[in-house]
Amino acid sequence: MKLFKAIWEFIKSFGLFWKDFLVGDSPELALGVTIILGVSYVSRNSRILDIVSSVVLVMVLMMITVWRKTRRHS
Amino acid sequence: MGAGSTTLLIIAVMAASAVEAVEALTIILASGITLGWRSTWEGTILAILALTAVVSVLGTTIIQHVDINYLRIVIGTLLLIFGLQWLTKAILRASGFKALHDEAKIFEREVAELKKEKEIMPAKRNSVAFVVSFKGVFLEGMEVVMIVISFGLSNGKDYSQLKYAVIGAAIGIAVIAIIGAIVARPLAKVPENTLKLGVGVLLVTFGLFWMGEGVGISWPLEDMFILILLAIIASTTFGLITYFKQVHRRMIQEVRG
Repeated sequence: MKLFKAIWEFIKSFGLFWKDFLVGDSPELALGVTIILGVSYVSRNSRILDIVSSVVLVMVLMMITVWRKTRRHS
Repeated sequence: MGAGSTTLLIIAVMAASAVEAVEALTIILASGITLGWRSTWEGTILAILALTAVVSVLGTTIIQHVDINYLRIVIGTLLLIFGLQWLTKAILRASGFKALHDEAKIFEREVAELKKEKEIMPAKRNSVAFVVSFKGVFLEGMEVVMIVISFGLSNGKDYSQLKYAVIGAAIGIAVIAIIGAIVARPLAKVPENTLKLGVGVLLVTFGLFWMGEGVGISWPLEDMFILILLAIIASTTFGLITYFKQVHRRMIQEVRG
């Protein structure tokens, strides 16, 4: 039982470490990057749309995240 | 990878490692000065050994068993998330919305907390010093490991890139360790925000490039397109800083006036 609890605690802290590492205080970034990944994958065979959409989406994500955080800080 | 992008890779890993090393150094100094150096060094050395094991085991296992395109998707996505986190924080700091990272203040806070611990556990071999230094070095070091592995493995079975990434990290950490050993106090004057801004731009650039390659985007000009992406991300960053600096100034004027 003790061993089971220790393993569970390890898994929990490992998960929390990765959650903090990847999501932290900006869940919108993790979500946004997942969306960019999906859009890039879907549009990967178009000649120019894949490049433009991935670059533009990263720029938009940067703007939205900074804008949201400035509102929070003000 | 061309010479230009290899140089960029080394600079990115070096600067990222230097930033993390500054943070780890603050924790080591606070622990060593307050609780004694013996256990602090033991914790630090064990953390470095653990990190070396993670790089060698994870690095070689991934190279041998994972398909290069899947690797690029995972690496690119991780770098993109990680880079955007650094970049948005650095933009907020540069535009005045967030306080600048002050290692001297962090050091004072850490020392005050550790002094309380010392009163509770006055031992020669101090377990708190060991745990604090191990945890500090291991956690800050894990970020360096992530960056080294990501940059080092983006070309799949090409070990030379991993070598360059390790060299970059070693230079970054060595520079901070030498300065730390000479001044023996927290490096308050390191332009951490500027470094984080630069590294953030590089991480986002490489992240987007590799994620795109992984999903099957064929970038025009191949590796040279990294420089175009770099210019786009850097100008977006500076545009955002300029705009939000003005917003911040306007808000302060409104509050005052």
